[in-house]
Formats: sequence, structure tokens, C-alpha cells
Amino acid sequence: MLVAGFPDAVAAFLARQLRGVTVEAAPDAAAARAQLARGGWSLVLLDSAIPGGGARGVLHALSDLPPVFLCVPRAGAEGGGGGASGADADVPGVAQTFVHPLDRQALVRQAAAVLGVDGASHPPGDGSPAPREGTADALADAVRNAWERFRGPVTARVDAIEEAAIAVLEGRLTEEGRRHAEREAHKLAGSVGTFGFAQGSRLAREVETLLQGNAPLGQAEALRLTDAAVALRRELARPPSPVTAPARQQSHAGQQGHAQPGGAARALPLLLVVDDDSELAERITMEAGGRAMRTRIARDVSQARVAVSDERPAAVLLDLSFEGDRRGGLELLRELSAHVPPVPVVVLTGSGAFADRVEVARLGGVGFLQKPVSPATAVDAVSGVLHRGQQRRSCILAVDDDPVILDAVQRLLEPAGVEVNVLGDPERFWDSLEEVCPDAVLLDIDMPSVGGIELCRVMRNDARWSATPVIFLTARTEAETVQRVFAAGADDYVAKPFVGPELVTRVTNRLERVQLHRALADSDPLTGVANRRRSEELMGQLLHLAVRNKKPFALALLDLDHFKRINDRHGHGMGDEVLRRVARLLERGFRAEDVVARWGGEEFVVGMFGMDKDDAVQRLEAVLEQLRAEPFEMAGAEPLRVSFSAGIAQFPVDGADLPALYRVADATLYQAKEAGRSRVLPAGWTPERPDPAAQVDVVVVEDDPALARLLLHSLETRGYTSRWIADGREAADALTGSRPSLRARLVLLDIDLPGMDGHAVLRRLSRDRVLERTRVIVLTVRAHEAEVVQALEEGAFDHVSKPFSVPILLHRIRRAMVA
Amino acid sequence: MSRRILIVDDEDDIREVAQMSLEMVAGWEVIPARNGEEGLRLAAEHLPDAILLDVMMPGMDGPATALRLRDDPQTAGIPVILLTAKVQPADRRRFEGLEVAGVLAKPFDPMDLANQVSSTLGWPG
Repeated sequence: MLVAGFPDAVAAFLARQLRGVTVEAAPDAAAARAQLARGGWSLVLLDSAIPGGGARGVLHALSDLPPVFLCVPRAGAEGGGGGASGADADVPGVAQTFVHPLDRQALVRQAAAVLGVDGASHPPGDGSPAPREGTADALADAVRNAWERFRGPVTARVDAIEEAAIAVLEGRLTEEGRRHAEREAHKLAGSVGTFGFAQGSRLAREVETLLQGNAPLGQAEALRLTDAAVALRRELARPPSPVTAPARQQSHAGQQGHAQPGGAARALPLLLVVDDDSELAERITMEAGGRAMRTRIARDVSQARVAVSDERPAAVLLDLSFEGDRRGGLELLRELSAHVPPVPVVVLTGSGAFADRVEVARLGGVGFLQKPVSPATAVDAVSGVLHRGQQRRSCILAVDDDPVILDAVQRLLEPAGVEVNVLGDPERFWDSLEEVCPDAVLLDIDMPSVGGIELCRVMRNDARWSATPVIFLTARTEAETVQRVFAAGADDYVAKPFVGPELVTRVTNRLERVQLHRALADSDPLTGVANRRRSEELMGQLLHLAVRNKKPFALALLDLDHFKRINDRHGHGMGDEVLRRVARLLERGFRAEDVVARWGGEEFVVGMFGMDKDDAVQRLEAVLEQLRAEPFEMAGAEPLRVSFSAGIAQFPVDGADLPALYRVADATLYQAKEAGRSRVLPAGWTPERPDPAAQVDVVVVEDDPALARLLLHSLETRGYTSRWIADGREAADALTGSRPSLRARLVLLDIDLPGMDGHAVLRRLSRDRVLERTRVIVLTVRAHEAEVVQALEEGAFDHVSKPFSVPILLHRIRRAMVA
Repeated sequence: MSRRILIVDDEDDIREVAQMSLEMVAGWEVIPARNGEEGLRLAAEHLPDAILLDVMMPGMDGPATALRLRDDPQTAGIPVILLTAKVQPADRRRFEGLEVAGVLAKPFDPMDLANQVSSTLGWPG
């Protein structure tokens, strides 16, 4: 059966309902014709308004057609499916006509009848939202396809925001225009996150908030709007994050799968927010949605209990500033900590009293936040906790000649999340050790041929295994044996016959220590990102890779602006929180293969393989925009706005090794600070000089001061040097002559200018051969086609029509400069 | 048990994703409507088990549509869930008078929407 011109979901639905029928989908008329020409179809379901020609366009001049079910728009008020409606009745081959919206049950019945299959064998739904096998992937595909179809119209909404920004700068934003842009931002905020652009939703929400109400909008707001629009466009141009994470793979074969309830759909961790402050809870939900977490909100303790029994959450955010039911909240905390394994709980309270902290820690809370707290901070804390739990699965090697013991070890430890490798033959110990690389080893003391004590000594004599925890299983607990065990280098012993909890606790304790040591040795304790030592190691590898593959590598050095002031005015606790937030933003803003590290103080480093300076500038700017957009909420004070400055060096053009790249990046960072902070600069950036014979990247010839300021700001924040001239004749004079006072790589030239119009300027530049070294992009008013043609004939390199989108203009500028 | 859900949203992209999501994840039957008027008509015609209603729509918006559903004895008993990208205090007061079954935030996670609907309505999950 071919389903033509319908959403993919319709084909998927029919495939489920019609057992034994192959269902294929064609999105448009061309695809449908191609599929039909192939032949072999038993039935076609066709939308009369299929894009690219309509039903007639599909069926025209095709012979040997299968029966066609045609779906037509509802005309008037006739009921459900069936019944041909006039205009389309004469489309050839139509066996049955359906009316939008499709009555799917009727369709299934009719299709089953035509195809001679059983259409009712599969119930349409059992009321339970538990997804079937493979559903997650199918849905992810369908959502991705839907995005391909809708990205055009959705992205076009960003235009409204940009147009509003330009209108503000030109002082002509009407109330109607403002509301229109606000609505478009609202729609974006509510939709793009669904397609996998959580950051897009956040940016759009920021725009919506800015436009809400009637507060006057000035230049600062216009620039923020433009920046947000730029970031939004950039975000929506990216491939969307998958809407559903694939189910976690079982880490090794041979183990019976401990299937998670709900399967793939529940692969995203669930955060339970227990809060009677529904506004905060909802804002946390939004924030968590952007971090690949699902959320449930419980308004009180009893709702929370129901939610926990429905599905065990990965973490709980518990607000203890509950009016009245503080005791209940503490009781809930105790219960959650008593789960096996415990449910991690981060507690929010209204007071920061030490006694409260102690109480929360005593009851098993793993995090403590004092209100007021921003949703971003709360979710940061939760993701930190989840991160802790998501470390690599620990694995152990258990050696015993008694299969019953090995079986018991496996049965006890695997449910606790430990991968257990068993070995019955101690002779093969060394091979297994190298193969498994265990995080800990369990040894039986008495085994034929080689005993556990000898194996332990062998391990301790090899540097690779000298620190791996060894735990003995022994039936002999007399002092002398115990002493021999420890003398051989063991860490612990468990007496046989062992009872479950003791073995599990002793082993998992050791494993947690191993994980912790490993993490501590590699990461910065405050922020959790890589430390200097580890990052130098990783970046060394990336650099090596760059040399071998002749690829670029970019090193960014960034430093928080006025960090000392934050510490002095708001305390070190606030400073720490800022550092943690920046670390989170950097981690989110870069790919997993990039290296994000804190090198001390307020200095961070990012190493990016395969990226040049310009790419790196864009990435960091996106992070900077995000940081600027989310001020820190302060108790009883103005929110705290934070920014950073950054310098970027690129291998090999700016340096051949890490120290050289670091020096260049550092010098560039210094320039960024000097140039006014809160910016990202590539190495080699030169500041605008007041030198009369200046050489700049871009000369903006534009008589509208507001628009010119917008352009200069956009250029400057991307590292271009620029100069503004409002008058056409003045521009022509400056750029031409035997000793021009101004040289530029590029001129942005408005056509309507005082003094001398753009065409005349262009002709002068052409006559004086300036165009041989300088490219010109003319700015024209939309729909003045003749003007564009004329300008191009006069030697312009490109044109952009007003109102324009800043990112598009910047793209054209970049292109013109490299061409 | 088969469920039938009416989705009323003026945005084609969101309506379509919500429909796919509920059909594919939960196996429910979904009836899409593009605006409040169409929603009222289809609600009376199909008597769905629940109605998902976007708040901000041109013409008859979500709250207005919910009130009209309440006024019609045929549809008065159908639980209504509002979908909104903005939950402002003023809006929330407006929702309170509507006796809706719940308010879900946009953007939603397509994989999770059916779960959210079920748990809002107390349907067994």
C-alpha cells in the first residue's frame, strides 16, 4: 500500500493496523509518481492536496493503477468517511473518497476489505502509554522528518524578531509589530524544543520576555534582540539533538538483560520535582527539558509518593520550604534514601542554617540549595548528581575454584550494578587480568595449584595492578591467616560463608573509592571539568591527531570578567557557583570530543580538534550569549550579570605546540580585555586605529545612524575592524585617489545616500580600480530588482536587501572576503 | 482500552508531532483540529476521551474553547488539558476558573507526551 501526501504517522499507523501489508510513504507528487511507476501496488491512499501537483498530477497518464482512496478537504458539513464529493469524483481510478480529518477506523476497515487482510486483529491501543519495541526510533525518525518539512516556516518566525529589532533601531516599531514579534517568539519558544532545540526554546523565551509588556525598547534591547535572533538562527541551522536517547546497551554479553521498565522511552532520566511553588517547579521543568531530562511535578508529599511508586526517578528535587509540611518532606527524604539503591535527593530550603544542612545530610540528602535559586542552578545541581551516578560501570574479577561461590558472587553483585567476571581456574589468572582490566579483584584463599595469596603477591609486584583493590574470600578467619592476607597486600577480606549485604557493601565501597580517585586525579574538584594535567594530556593527543590528519586545532583561553569583584561583593560561594555554571555551559556548548578544562582561578581552556579560529569564535560566542542571557538570581538584589573574555589561537598558523598556542591565545585574551571585555577574539585581530591612512576590514557607508550602529556592533563582536561613513561623497573621497585615506577589504554600500548615491560611489571605485582590492556589497531595498542588476553591472560583488538578517549578512561578508 | 484524543492547535508542526507522538507511543487514536471552532465541532462529533488544547490560538483561544466545551452538556464531562508555552501568574488565574484537568508545558518531549497526559488524567500507565 502506498500512502501519498500524508504525515509519516499515517503510514506508520496503517502499517500497525494492517497485518501483513507493506506500507510505504511518499511525501509529494513526484515521489508518489516514481513509486507508482514501479508497479506492484495493491492500494493507494492519496491526499487530493498532495504537494507538487495534487492528486491529478500524481495519477495523470498512469496506466495499470491499483484502487485509489482519495482524501479530500471537508466541503460543508457532511459526516465521517465515505461518500464521493463532486469535484474530485472524476479523478481516474478513485475507488473510495474520504474526507479530512481522516476517520482512521473507517479507513482501516475499507483498506482491509480491499486488501483482503484482517484489519481489526490489532487493537488500536490498550490505553497504556508504554511504548512498543522500536517505537522510540520510529518516533525519532518521524519527528526528524517533520522538522525537515517545517524548518522553513519555523525559521521564518525568526525574521519577525529581527525585523522588530531593526524597527526599534529606526524608531518605527509599532505596537502591532511588537505584538507580532512577541507572538512569533512565543510560538518558537513553545515549539522548537519539541524538535530537539532546547536552547532555541530558551532563546525565544528570552525574546518573548523582552518584548512583553509596554516598557520602552531602546538600542540596548534592540541589540539583545538581534543577538538572540542571530543565536536562534544559528541554533536552528544545526542538526537537532535526537528527541529520544537510545536505550542503554547492556555492557557485556552473557548476562541476562535487566530490562528497564518502559524500555527505550524511559532512557531519559526522570527528575521528580516536589514543590508547592508551581511557578518555580514549572521553570525547573523547562530548564530540565533542555538538559535531556524528563520531569514530573508533585505538589505535595503524597503526590510525590504516588509518582515514585509509578516510576523510580533518577533524582528528586525536594523543596523543604513547604508551607506547613516540613516534617512530611523530611520523612519523604528519609524514605527515598532508604530505597535500594537510594534515590538521590537534592534539597531546596528557605534557610541556610547549619542545623538544616546536618539534618538533610543525616537523612541522606546528596545536595543542598538555599532559596532563592535560579532554575538553571537547581538543574545544575541535579545534573551533577546524575553525572556522579552515570560513571562507567565498575567491573571486578572473581577467582574461586568453587562454582557455587562464583555463582553467588555474581548473583549478589550484578544487581548492585557491578559487572562480574568469573574465573574458576587460577592458572589462567594473568590472562584474565589483562583481558578484563578489573577495578577490583576477589580472590579465594585456598585453591588447588595456585593459592589466592600467591596471586595477590604477583599483582602487587606489577606496577599496573599494585593499586587495584584485592578482597579475599576466606573461610579461615584465625588471626594468623588474616595477617598473611594483609601482608600479601590485600585490602580487605570477607568471611565465608558470606551474607549478601556484607559482600555487596565491602565491594561497592572499594569500587566507589576507585571511581572517586580516578575522577579526582583527572578533574577540577569545584567544577568537575578536566583539570590542567588531564586536559594537557588530552589536548596533546588531539594536537597529534591534527598533525597526522593535517587538520586545524583551535585552543581557546577564557577568563571571567570582573571575577574578583563578584567574589568581593557577593562572597566566594557565589563565585564558585558562577564558575560551576560557566563549566556547565562550556560542557554543553562543545562536542564530547572537545576538551573543556579549568586551569585555575577563573581561567578556562577549550581545545577543539578540526575547528579553525572562526568556527571556534562562533562556538564560544554562543556560550557567551547564553551566559549573558541567564543572570544569576540574588536574594533581595539585582540579578548578577556575568560575562567572559576569550582569545583563540589555531594550530598550525598561530603556533606549533601547546605552549606556543597558549601564549598566543593568552595575548589575544589580553587584547579582548583591553578592547572592553565580554568578547571573543581570534589571534591576529587588530584593533581599529585612529590612523588617517587606516586599513580596516569593512567600511560601512550608510546614512541611517541606528542601522550603522547595529552593523558596527555586529562586525566588532565578530572581530572585524570597521569604519562608518554616512555620506556617499565622503566615502568615495576617502577610498579613492592616489593616496586614499582609508583602505578596506570590503565596503557595505547603501544605495540611497546623501551627497552621492551608491551607484555613483560604485562607479568612482570602479574607475579608480579600487574594486581590484576591495569588494563591495550593496544594501538595497527589497523588490528593487533593477537597482540590484545595475549595481552588479557597476562592479558590486554581491547585494543584500533590507531589512536583512544579520547572520546572513555576516555570512555574505565572510564569503566576499575569502573569495 | 482504546483511547481517543482530540488535539486542538493552530501550529501544524506541533499538532502533527503531538499526533505522531500519541499514536506511536501510546497507540491512541488522535483527531487533529486546527482551531477552536473545528475543535468544538469534532469534540461533539467524536466525543473523545480527552482534549489537548493549545492556549494561544488566533480567533477562539484555548480558554475560550474550554469554556464553550463546558457549556455544551455533551462535551462538559470530557477532561481538558491545556498546552502552553507561558505560565504567567495572570494566565494561571485565568486557567483556575476553567476547571481543566491540567496544564502541560510546551515545548514537550515527544517521547514523554503520552506519559504526561496519562499521569495528568490519572490513567493507568
